[in-house]
Amino acid sequence: MEFKDYYSTLGVERTASEDEIRKAYRRLARKYHPDVSKEADAEVRMRDVNEAYEVLHDKEKRAAYDGLAERVARGGGAGPQGGFQPPPGWDEGFEFHHAGSPGDEAGFSDFFSSLFGAAQRRGAARRQYRARGDDQHAAIEIPLGMALQGGVREITLRALQPDAQGHPAWTTRTLEVTIPAGVHPGQYIRLAGQGQPGHGGGESGDLFLEVRIQPHPLYRAEGRDIYMTLPVTPAEAALGAQVRVPTPAGGVVDVAVPAQARNGLKLRLKERGFPGSPPGHLYLLVDVVLPPADTEAARKAYADFARALPFNPRSHLGV
Amino acid sequence: MTTRITITAATIVGAGQPLDAQALARACNTEIDWVAQAVEAGILQAEGDAPAAWRFHSVDLRSALEARRLQRDFGVELEAAALILDLGREVRRLRARLHAHGLGLG
Repeated sequence: MEFKDYYSTLGVERTASEDEIRKAYRRLARKYHPDVSKEADAEVRMRDVNEAYEVLHDKEKRAAYDGLAERVARGGGAGPQGGFQPPPGWDEGFEFHHAGSPGDEAGFSDFFSSLFGAAQRRGAARRQYRARGDDQHAAIEIPLGMALQGGVREITLRALQPDAQGHPAWTTRTLEVTIPAGVHPGQYIRLAGQGQPGHGGGESGDLFLEVRIQPHPLYRAEGRDIYMTLPVTPAEAALGAQVRVPTPAGGVVDVAVPAQARNGLKLRLKERGFPGSPPGHLYLLVDVVLPPADTEAARKAYADFARALPFNPRSHLGV
Repeated sequence: MTTRITITAATIVGAGQPLDAQALARACNTEIDWVAQAVEAGILQAEGDAPAAWRFHSVDLRSALEARRLQRDFGVELEAAALILDLGREVRRLRARLHAHGLGLG
């Protein structure tokens, strides 16, 4: 684990004011926002920027981090394998609070978790009153078939928890999650009692998993609808045809391609998308594919076709 | 230390198992008053008449998390957050439509 320079991540000086940090963060948050960014690594950069801001905009965290950075500059914090390890008592005198949404810290680095995750949990453990544990958020990417038909998916969650001696130690939980059939992208799966542990005998929080669908070679999901490109020959498009089509649920259906079908024509297979109320549909996008003119016989067939069926597709251009 | 846990109580947040206002507030680390304000601003589409009977789906959970983040990061009012969420949804819908039709953004 390496020591992270959060000031460098936000592109500000160590002496930056709260206002300068906020402005730098907002500029970068706009730059790397997943809905607008063209950067290939926008998601990773956004996570780094969020992590840096989570520390530097919070007075207590920033003060503790600055103190730690000074110790590191003086040679403190060297781990047994040469990496960084927070020196004992680096956060003495500070109690960190998490004020954001539970999902905010999902995916933050081990560096952040080793500093503030364990410290937040220690602070919470010191509370005497009974309190429910926080809810947690994570994302889960599943194949399309599993989303439609259900299945079992493993996810592994890492967290720093105090061990028997009260020292922070990494714990790994592997959850075998039974994915309910009919879940679609953007929905959340709720795992009751799998969030943060409660305090003083309080119940654990819940874990919410945001569903994402893995890219599929044939199908593309849009909300509850599913799209598939349906290649047809020029003859099938011109004359109409019955073609066999695989469905996302695993079956095969016969579909009637109407005569004079054009490229991009959308055929709807009712209620063969994601289940729901209302259920989604499966849309087939007609794609007229030309046979390759890569043999003498094929080139002759094209020439014969042109003679037999002369037409000018550019007549409307007026030239 | 590794723990292996088999989960059977996985439910889809939606029509069959919606969230009540308290569960939604808890999932977003906020208070029920904020949920009521978000309903008022049109960010959340509550099913049910009275706050005690309100029920929320996955789409509301996502909207609530995004609105909270916008408020925290940019200090926007809820009404402005509602507009930003609408625009973001429209961008995602159009991108998904392009993707569904096999078209990238170039």
